[in-house]
Amino acid sequence: MISVTPKVAADSETKIDLSNLSPEQVALDINNLNLYYGQKQALQNITMSIPKGQVTAFIGPSGCGKSTLLRCINRMNDLVDICRIEGEINLHGENIYGKHVDVAALRRQVGMVFQRPNPFPKSIYENVVYGLRITGNNNRRELDEAVEKSLRSAALWDEVKDRLHESALGLSGGQQQRLVIARAIAIEPEVLLLDEPTSALDPISTLTIEELINDLKKQFTVVIVTHNMQQAARVSDQTAFMYMGDLIEYSDTNTLFTTPVKKKTEDYITGRYG
Amino acid sequence: MDNVNVGRHISGQFNEDLERVINHVMQMGGLVEKQLSESLQAVYEADQDLAKKVQQNDYQINALEVSIDDECTRIIAKRQPAAGDLRLIMAVVKTIADLERIGDEAQKIAKVAMESFSSEQKDMLLNLDNLGRHVLEFLQATLDAFTRMDFDAAVKIHKSDNKIDREYEALMRQLMTYMMEDPRSIPRIMSVIWSARALERIGDRCQNICEYIIYFVKGKVVRHTTPEDMEKL
Repeated sequence: MISVTPKVAADSETKIDLSNLSPEQVALDINNLNLYYGQKQALQNITMSIPKGQVTAFIGPSGCGKSTLLRCINRMNDLVDICRIEGEINLHGENIYGKHVDVAALRRQVGMVFQRPNPFPKSIYENVVYGLRITGNNNRRELDEAVEKSLRSAALWDEVKDRLHESALGLSGGQQQRLVIARAIAIEPEVLLLDEPTSALDPISTLTIEELINDLKKQFTVVIVTHNMQQAARVSDQTAFMYMGDLIEYSDTNTLFTTPVKKKTEDYITGRYG
Repeated sequence: MDNVNVGRHISGQFNEDLERVINHVMQMGGLVEKQLSESLQAVYEADQDLAKKVQQNDYQINALEVSIDDECTRIIAKRQPAAGDLRLIMAVVKTIADLERIGDEAQKIAKVAMESFSSEQKDMLLNLDNLGRHVLEFLQATLDAFTRMDFDAAVKIHKSDNKIDREYEALMRQLMTYMMEDPRSIPRIMSVIWSARALERIGDRCQNICEYIIYFVKGKVVRHTTPEDMEKL
């Protein structure tokens, strides 16, 4: 018998220890987050650190709070009247629910893409530069550069470069979703939130978006909510499993999908009755 | 099946698929065990008919291996199993490969029984008795642990393989002495050595199966590790 522990040909990336992240590794630090819709508590004491430059997926059954948690990260829940939030989410060590936080500035740092592609009824070009124009940038050359860069990052450039000034509504669903991602990354946010970005797309467009997500993490921290467990397994580095407002298990994706610790997680990912 | 919980999937079809795979592995295990016990019996009793039967029946084991392999491939393609289900499928795929090889080893032993020996030579074959009995018990215990996916039993069986290794070495020394004493006996002793070697290999394959059981239950790979590492689980 060989007297050494096998050195399994490990993934090329060094594995990070979620329970022991250094401050430089953390993009978002969620601390004792409780969220109520009226009387009903939708999130219970969520505490987790989302590492920088990685893809973190939230999975769980409908109504488990995963989208709610995602929306907390750029304060989308502020728009819901009956919503009340306790606890904190720190971005660069600063609580985004602090008193003097400029929500518009926060949302420039934390971009978001939704389930259904929602391009504006404008040209492809104008869709991408929309955020930049709002911030007052009207320099033609800079805008042109931003359009090419964002569309290239969103893996859409080659398909639309000859019709940048045609309506965005003429694109296919998959292209529209990539356009929306291009629009979100044009203003160079730090964190990109994706709320079931492929649930309205066909399998091939889905794969394109997944490939894109893998590229995006080189520049951004990506947080994705998905109903498709295989998708979480394919695209994410970390996976958090949520159930009825609780964070049940949060670990690196390889571990969670092969040897989950909690029985609830195992039941959910293997498709069993809870 | 204490630890193997194949049921409770929302998809009833998935439950059925997994149950079918497990049942086929049990069936294959039973066949392999029968082949080994009959091949040993054929050797002890110099029963050429029985040896021939063992030779002929090996195809059943091979056919089962192919069909279980196929079922597992289909499950992976259609169900994308995760966690325990995935580990079960992986453990099954590896286990049946080892079972098939155990079947081949039994066939090799039966081949020795097909040779014609003089009565003096037959005595020589009886040297295999102890080792053969222990290996058969070892295989039975392994299959039993697999059926129940019993982690403790798997660790215990895994450790006890060195007993078989020691017995094998002792037998080798003994046979070596015979060969030195009487070089004319070498050809027939070689037959005994081939059988002993086959038995020793079966022990190793049982040990592999125990490793797959441990992998299924604990999700930890214990291949090529020290017994101390295994203790820590």
